[in-house]
Amino acid sequence: MHELLGAAVQVPYPSWLNTGDNTWQLVAATLVGLMSIPGLAVLYASIVQKKWSVNVLAMVFAGFSLTLIAWVLWTYKMGFGVPSLGHGVKLVNGVVTQTQFNDPHVGTWKHFFDNFVGKPGQIVNATSEQSQAASAANTVIPFHFPTTTLAYFQFVFAAITPLLFLGSVLGRIKFSAWCLLVVGWSTFVYAIDAFLLWGGGYFAQEGALDFSGGYVIHMSAGVSGFVAAWVLGPRLLRDRQHAIPNNLVMAAVGAGILWLGWNGFNGGDPYYSGADAAAAVVNTNLATAVGVVVWMLLDAVGTRGKKPTFLGGVNGMICGLVAITPSAGWVNGWGAMLVGLIATVIVWVAWNYLSKVRPFSKVDDALGVVYTHGIAGLAGGLMVGLFADPNMIQYGCGNLGVNGQVVNTSNAAYLATTKSCTPFSVSGLMYTGSFHQLWEQFRAAVWVILWSAVVTFILMKIIGLIVRGARYKEEILEVGDLAIHDEEAFPDEPLAERVGGGGPGAGAFALAGIGSGAPEPPPSRSPDGGSSGAGGAQ
Amino acid sequence: MKLIVAVIKPFKLNEVKEALTTAGVQGMTLTEAQGFGRQRGHSEVYRGAEYTVDFVPKLRVEVLVDDSIVGEVVDAVIRTAATGKIGDGKVWVLPVEEVARIRTGERGRDAL
Repeated sequence: MHELLGAAVQVPYPSWLNTGDNTWQLVAATLVGLMSIPGLAVLYASIVQKKWSVNVLAMVFAGFSLTLIAWVLWTYKMGFGVPSLGHGVKLVNGVVTQTQFNDPHVGTWKHFFDNFVGKPGQIVNATSEQSQAASAANTVIPFHFPTTTLAYFQFVFAAITPLLFLGSVLGRIKFSAWCLLVVGWSTFVYAIDAFLLWGGGYFAQEGALDFSGGYVIHMSAGVSGFVAAWVLGPRLLRDRQHAIPNNLVMAAVGAGILWLGWNGFNGGDPYYSGADAAAAVVNTNLATAVGVVVWMLLDAVGTRGKKPTFLGGVNGMICGLVAITPSAGWVNGWGAMLVGLIATVIVWVAWNYLSKVRPFSKVDDALGVVYTHGIAGLAGGLMVGLFADPNMIQYGCGNLGVNGQVVNTSNAAYLATTKSCTPFSVSGLMYTGSFHQLWEQFRAAVWVILWSAVVTFILMKIIGLIVRGARYKEEILEVGDLAIHDEEAFPDEPLAERVGGGGPGAGAFALAGIGSGAPEPPPSRSPDGGSSGAGGAQ
Repeated sequence: MKLIVAVIKPFKLNEVKEALTTAGVQGMTLTEAQGFGRQRGHSEVYRGAEYTVDFVPKLRVEVLVDDSIVGEVVDAVIRTAATGKIGDGKVWVLPVEEVARIRTGERGRDAL
């Protein structure tokens, strides 16, 4: 009893664990998870035709689930584990080391493949779930939380990425093909790009930067969705000509969850709950606010109807959110507003004009993911190289305690460069006059675009063979939800009459003695009953 | 007995309802409807794509009345539903063979 009370007063955390950081990381992860379910589920389900709503919801929930199962069994380790499958990133005496120094193979393809992808493995045993996170995702400060916190935080990013490009392929992709695509894509596109840019892989070592996933998530989703939509072929002509949303109010709910969920998306990526996390949150909201206003303004002056539209505002919101993602904690507030402005103008022009030019005019990217995620992600990723402010300190200096936490440090000391420590920040062209960072950003962009496109193409071809055509037949596409799931988005109760058994409803109440006695026997479905009925009519 | 059907502009409902009650109508059935006549539709824009919608939201009002007040009821609809602009709707009258009140089984004029 005394021990229990003692535990209540002071929980014996391990020395590396910081409750504030762990709490923020789990909250941030949950916010990002909410962006998928219900955020994207509701947004996408309400801007498609009513007949596709349930299909979209089912694919979002299934995709989220499948990604998590793959994540804990093999993909987390591929993206964020040490060591890499080659001889690159490894763990030496508990410290993550990379091979950009002292490796005779630097500059060769061997160095690239040594640092290409992490070694697949599970993270569900007791040790993995409770020990301190170790990953090259952050080599500046030790993680102040367990592996599971990092793994869950990274999972919600892995999960939302295929769900984003669901917007390109919905309205014709088979449910089975979608499930296979999510698992294959997480394994062969996401995990590899995540390792290369975040997990200490080749591009991370080269110095390419992606704060929260402008490349790994949004640009990759935009490109992959575009390629998958091209392989699949277009939706029905009628669906394309009648692509009317079914509920703009629910679209606002989904969009709002996306926006505020992004506070976790970008605010969680410093991996500690300090000033840079706060800066990332505010910068994210600033770029987004500019995006909303700019798109509405462009709609109001640059379209035939000359009216600001709400769904245009949502597009602008997504442009701002996506574009600030690669740089959220590395630009200042001015930079954030510029990022929102430039990206939204570029995407608005692309949306309205580039969409009329090949190949964009020939591919049915149903919700335009290649614009609001692909092009916005590319623009945002390049702008890291322009607007990153060296005075935006992500990790400062000071006296590090045994826990890897700064102790007894004035703000001046925290920000100061000392012999033993240089604060971590990023410098763009605007501040340094150097094209170095922009070049690194460009190289990584080319890689992510090519890898996402090629692997998605191959996956779609293989899946097409496995499920004998990845798209539904025309008679199913004409009906939508009812043909695929036997469900509709807004069922009409008075019109429905229950047949047969099944489902917990009647049975459970009957067991509890509620209701008017035994449930009626289901209409006979046996061959005898069926034929006797038919026989009686003869 | 007659069935009077009026298709009106939605914002005119209250005025029409009050006028009909004053004219002696006991009850009515209301349905949301979409229609067009000489009034053209409108255009809608979703995510940059423009659509034309020929059908305009209307309300369809149905009342069962005794022959004696048919003229008065039709006049009341015309008087209250009109704005003078295109798209004010229509009102028409149909003969009714039989009416029964389901609760009591009353027939004919008693059921109105």
